[in-house]
Amino acid sequence: MPDRFSLSTARKIAWREARASSTRFLFVILAVSLGVGALTGVRGFSQSFRGMLMRDARQLMAADMTVRAFALPTPTQESVLEKLARSGVDQTQVTETVSMLSIPSQSTPVLVSVKAVDPAVYPFYGALKLNPPLTLRQALQADAVAVSGDLLVRLDIKTGDTVKLGEANFRIAAVVTAEPDRMAGSLNVGPRILMSRAGLDRTGLITLGSRAAQRVLFRFEPNSIPVSRARAELKEAFPDAQIIDYRETHPLITRGLDRATTFLSLVSLIALIVGALGVAMAMHSHLQQKMDIIAVMKSIGARSGQIMTIYTLQTLMLGLLGGAAGIIVGLAVQRAFPPLIARYFQIDPGLHWDPGSALQGLATGVLTTLLFTLPPLLSIRAIRPSIILRREMEDARPHWRDRLKNGRTGAIAGAVIIAGILAIGWWLSESLRVGLYFAGGFLASILMLAAIATGILALLRRAARWSRQALPAAIRHGLANIYRPGNQASALLVALGLGVMFTLTVYLVQKSMLVQIANSAPPGMPNVFLINITSLERDGIAGMLHHQKGIQGPAEVIPIVSARMLRIDGAAVQDLPLKGFSRRFRQSRSVTWSDSLNSQTVVTEGKFWGPKDTAQSAGVQLCVGEDVAKILSVKPGTRIDWIAGGRTFTAQVSCVYRSEAVRIGSNLEFLFIPGALDGIPTLHFAAIRMQPALVAQLQRDVFRRFPTVTVINGADVLAIIQDVVDQIALVVRFISFFAILAGAIILASSVAGTRFRRVREVVILKTLGATRRRIAGIFSVEFLLLGAVAGILGSLLATGFSLLLLKRLFQVDYRFEPWPHLVAILLTAILANIAGWLASYRILQQKPMEALRNSL
Amino acid sequence: MEILRGINFAVPRGQFIAIMGPSGSGKSTLLGLLAGLDTPTAGSIVLDGQEIAGLAEDSLALIRGRKIGFVFQSYQLIPTLTAIENVLLPHELAGEANGLARAMELLENVGLSERRDHYPIQLSGGEQQRVALARAFMVRPPILMADEPTGNLDSANGEHVLELLLSMNRREGTTLVLVTHDATLAAHADRILRLKDGVIVGDELRA
Ligand SMILES: Nc1ncnc2c1ncn2[C@@H]1O[C@H](COP(=O)(O)OP(=O)(O)O)[C@@H](O)[C@H]1O
Ligand SMILES: [Mg+2]
Repeated sequence: MPDRFSLSTARKIAWREARASSTRFLFVILAVSLGVGALTGVRGFSQSFRGMLMRDARQLMAADMTVRAFALPTPTQESVLEKLARSGVDQTQVTETVSMLSIPSQSTPVLVSVKAVDPAVYPFYGALKLNPPLTLRQALQADAVAVSGDLLVRLDIKTGDTVKLGEANFRIAAVVTAEPDRMAGSLNVGPRILMSRAGLDRTGLITLGSRAAQRVLFRFEPNSIPVSRARAELKEAFPDAQIIDYRETHPLITRGLDRATTFLSLVSLIALIVGALGVAMAMHSHLQQKMDIIAVMKSIGARSGQIMTIYTLQTLMLGLLGGAAGIIVGLAVQRAFPPLIARYFQIDPGLHWDPGSALQGLATGVLTTLLFTLPPLLSIRAIRPSIILRREMEDARPHWRDRLKNGRTGAIAGAVIIAGILAIGWWLSESLRVGLYFAGGFLASILMLAAIATGILALLRRAARWSRQALPAAIRHGLANIYRPGNQASALLVALGLGVMFTLTVYLVQKSMLVQIANSAPPGMPNVFLINITSLERDGIAGMLHHQKGIQGPAEVIPIVSARMLRIDGAAVQDLPLKGFSRRFRQSRSVTWSDSLNSQTVVTEGKFWGPKDTAQSAGVQLCVGEDVAKILSVKPGTRIDWIAGGRTFTAQVSCVYRSEAVRIGSNLEFLFIPGALDGIPTLHFAAIRMQPALVAQLQRDVFRRFPTVTVINGADVLAIIQDVVDQIALVVRFISFFAILAGAIILASSVAGTRFRRVREVVILKTLGATRRRIAGIFSVEFLLLGAVAGILGSLLATGFSLLLLKRLFQVDYRFEPWPHLVAILLTAILANIAGWLASYRILQQKPMEALRNSL
Repeated sequence: MEILRGINFAVPRGQFIAIMGPSGSGKSTLLGLLAGLDTPTAGSIVLDGQEIAGLAEDSLALIRGRKIGFVFQSYQLIPTLTAIENVLLPHELAGEANGLARAMELLENVGLSERRDHYPIQLSGGEQQRVALARAFMVRPPILMADEPTGNLDSANGEHVLELLLSMNRREGTTLVLVTHDATLAAHADRILRLKDGVIVGDELRA
């Protein structure tokens, strides 16, 4: 060995040696590439999506700027809009609401999302496409609508047919095939009905106080006032409204995208960690085989550091190759996203390669690989040159001082790995908290997986001993093979188990949530909601509900008024330091009035007004919910200034209440004394509990007499939620499946690493009279058992994690069901068998004659 | 390339024949052919009355399993199985049960009953070869084939293994084909076949 050990020498040796273990290394490169691919795919897609949101911001909201509010503009607001119009800002109004639609043949009405536009100017940007290809102006006559295709399917009708919406009949003029601002809209439940504003007026759906979403679209002419100035003026005039302009991406969409990206990145990181684990395992057994050579190199003067350089370079090479291949896999993953989420976003951001994400994926791949290879690399220092001389002593227990030292090195390496994972998690999620949770969760799962894996392996070994004669020979032999030296069974089980655990947890949580949602209408909880009831219709509806068949329990009709707090004891609400969801108090809230408290509500502070008291006789009073009292530091005696329906007034808090039951209606946070809200536009709603089979009858009856009242069947909403949950879970499963796949590939790599031993075994077995089928059986038992144990491991931990997540995070009960677990275990076993045989390519063709050759 | 040429001989039941010759003369190749580990490019091999040249691999495996016991120079134990499991293996591969008593008896014969649950890696070379010996006799094969069985052992261990091989062979009445280049080993045989460069150069029957 030369005195100066140059890096290029190290590189040469590293490369030469890696080629010798090429099959095994090819597999681990593939495993790393899966992790990196998932990561770059997720982040690349997210970036393309964001890029598209930014690039097509105008098309996506059909305007340069939009203002969205849940009330019709007040006269002051109208004047601001007019002023803007005079300074060259085009504008058009879009109204969105949900309602009931039916066809004359007496079918049950359908819940639809209605959108009314001015066909002469809408949309400012982007194209709305119809089939037949009419212009909007041609299609949207006052007596005609355009609908989305799913409505035609659902009602079995066609273009040209007549539907009834609210109080009027409409002809279906066309089918909407593309709608630029669908994503930016709100209230997207059920099929789309597109109509003109004149058409909307005919329906009678919009009355004073209706909670329809009003969106004003703006287009700035070249020489009109600057967007920022217009925005400031609008913010002032529409304090409740959400204002977005083309210079930013839609905040709601972006927030959702960010969360999804973070979550999926961390899921990908798990796949990547599995890949890195594979590299570490390959490196470990590689070093094990090279022990003699390393000892020889050391005995002729190479220092540990020099040898470590060789193997660090090798690791780096594997990480880089895996990362580079991963970038290509990432493109495929990115390509797979649009079809996966097609049900909710009919968009395709196109395949824009994002170099930033690719670089990030590559860096994460290399870093993670290096981290996990730390322990085997450090172990190089412990190899003594003297081992060549005392081979026989190999399995003697090391001296306690050595063991202590090894333990310490291991602990340090472990700490570095966890710190590294924390850092990578932090980097990917841009949140220290998330990074901490991820690293903590990872540490906990890996410790548990390792402990249980070791336990199961020991148990199996003992079982194999005991049942010596009871088990068929092939199974016993396959079982014995799990302990094959170099198999690294527990590490394999941890790697594969990690993937199974994650995918299965996602599935179990999804299922339990859906079961929970489905069962969340325990007796007494409402399952049908009537909304958009005007004051004129109130008594009619109440009477009707009173006589309707199938209704269980009371059918209260509750008045709702939209009101906003201005000051609390003189302090402006806008200036209160409110965070997160608490900021809702700066906006208009739904409030109600009542002369009594229902039975599930108790007063915790102060006193509720008497049954005959009114605002006129007892003063303007209100009671507030416990949360409100806590967040806003409100107690009996506090004076709150309100604005509602253009009127300002002051009310004094007289009590604080707590709702014992989660009930629609009792979640209202502000309850006024009767008379306090007189003269303010009021809508009513009712929440009732009824036999599911009779809901359709109620929908028909209500629609016949009160066509503008919307009846929402809880079961329909449930179906929508289920759809959304399913879609999200599908994407998560898709990404988490990469972890399982990486695990299976690691298994293949480990099998490739023991190929030499297997070849030898095939030959011996053949000379002893084993047929190929018999040998295939023995190996299959080994692979299937490994897979099944990994499946059991993952399934055990998935149960624990689901339990924890559901209880802690979602407050949902976990109910054990055997099927998902059995399927997971079976599939993992099959996958392991496939991976094992892929790596055992042509092994059965080995000639028995080899047994006589001394090469073995 | 032709490795063996013009080979023609018959071994009667119960005979102990030694095949001798320098390294590379084709001894192992010949033994492999006799045992059906390989198939000849031309010629005929009759084993216990059955033509085996040209049989399919799996049929050959079944014949081997029933009729031939093997001892190799490099022991060839299965590393993931214990001593007793290795001995039992041929019996199990033949699809039979209840071999434990015989396997124990054989291990006792080779003096390793104490080591029944040890893995090959825990045994010395001589011990491993003794386990291989026990394994070779497990299914009471009519023929035993040994290729340089003492080649990897020191003289003391080698002698011990040879003694065991011969005594067990006598007890079981097996036909023994022993390949060796060691004259002291061959001295025990009933007959010595000498090979050189793939041809028989001597065939001597001894008293
Ligand atoms: N797989 C093989 N392919 C081609 N030739 C081989 C092979 N194995 C052995 N040989 C050749 O066959 C001849 C006989 O080898 P072998 O039977 O192993 O001899 P011995 O056992 O007497 O030492 C040698 O010349 C050897 O080089
Ligand atoms: Mg030979």
